[in-house]
Amino acid sequence: MKHVGTQTILFDNPPTILETSSIVGPKESEGPLAKYFDQCLDDEFWGEKTWEKAESKIIKENVNAVVAKSGIAATDIQYCFAGDLLNQCISSSFGLRELNVPFFGVFGACSTFVESLCLGSVFVEAGAATNVLCATSSHFCSAEKQFRFPLELGNQRPQSAQWTVTGSGAAIVSNSRNRSIYYLYDPWKNC
Amino acid sequence: MKPIETKQEYSDYVDKKSPNSPILKNCFNAFWVGGLICSIGQILFDFCQYKGMDETSCSTVVSIVLIGIAAILTGLNIFNKIGKFAGAGSLVPITGFANSIVSPAIEYKSEGYVMGVGGKMFTVAGPVLVFGISASVIIGIIATFFS
Repeated sequence: MKHVGTQTILFDNPPTILETSSIVGPKESEGPLAKYFDQCLDDEFWGEKTWEKAESKIIKENVNAVVAKSGIAATDIQYCFAGDLLNQCISSSFGLRELNVPFFGVFGACSTFVESLCLGSVFVEAGAATNVLCATSSHFCSAEKQFRFPLELGNQRPQSAQWTVTGSGAAIVSNSRNRSIYYLYDPWKNC
Repeated sequence: MKPIETKQEYSDYVDKKSPNSPILKNCFNAFWVGGLICSIGQILFDFCQYKGMDETSCSTVVSIVLIGIAAILTGLNIFNKIGKFAGAGSLVPITGFANSIVSPAIEYKSEGYVMGVGGKMFTVAGPVLVFGISASVIIGIIATFFS
């Protein structure tokens, strides 16, 4: 692993994404990407009392799903990098509590997931871990409550207003040294 | 495309790319919904006068009834739909003020009654109250000295 250019890390044995999983809310389920998500919810609360608890449940269930899909035991995951948009990253910290994996809270707003993947890959490449879990979550209602106006407020949104995703994404980044992987395209061939 | 360097250039670029609000349609909707709310107020006012109340009591009754209706509609998740459709038409009359206090109260109920409902109730309407009351106090002091 070495540093090249100004902002690039070059890996000797690039870590790979072992498995991914995603859960999304009702609005995302209506979109053109719906068929690519693992689970689509039809209720913003998902049986919980508050939006924050619902978000926490989404990331918890999603992390359980990715671990189950990957076929490795939760005990084989050494670290977890995750974050969300709420104060003190509460939905991630509460959602990941039961997993019993050391947790690094990441806050990067929209870039949280990629940030977790970067940090996780460096951990794997450096030999500090063989498998790390990278995850993120957000919830339209809890984000509106935290950053904007109450949902019941009768105001107009501009035509170009953004809509925070209700959902969670998770990936397991793993060491590829002991696995045979075909690289279809090697961007570092000429480095 | 030439690179965007200044804040002004970026702002112009965003303005060019983002779709405009349908101003005419919005104005028309705001006009008739706002007019309707005010007409309802006037009908109530006339009805109270017909029942023999004086002018001050009539205004108070009208305000209370409109605030009550707006608060109930907010609770039923109807007022935000009206607000989305009518914009300033439902926001500028007293109904908008009622909505701006009731909506945070509903939103923050999950954080408890004291620190949630009590503490966060005025997050939207707070500035209006602070500056409205401050301004009226200052005008009152000035009026006392110069009248």
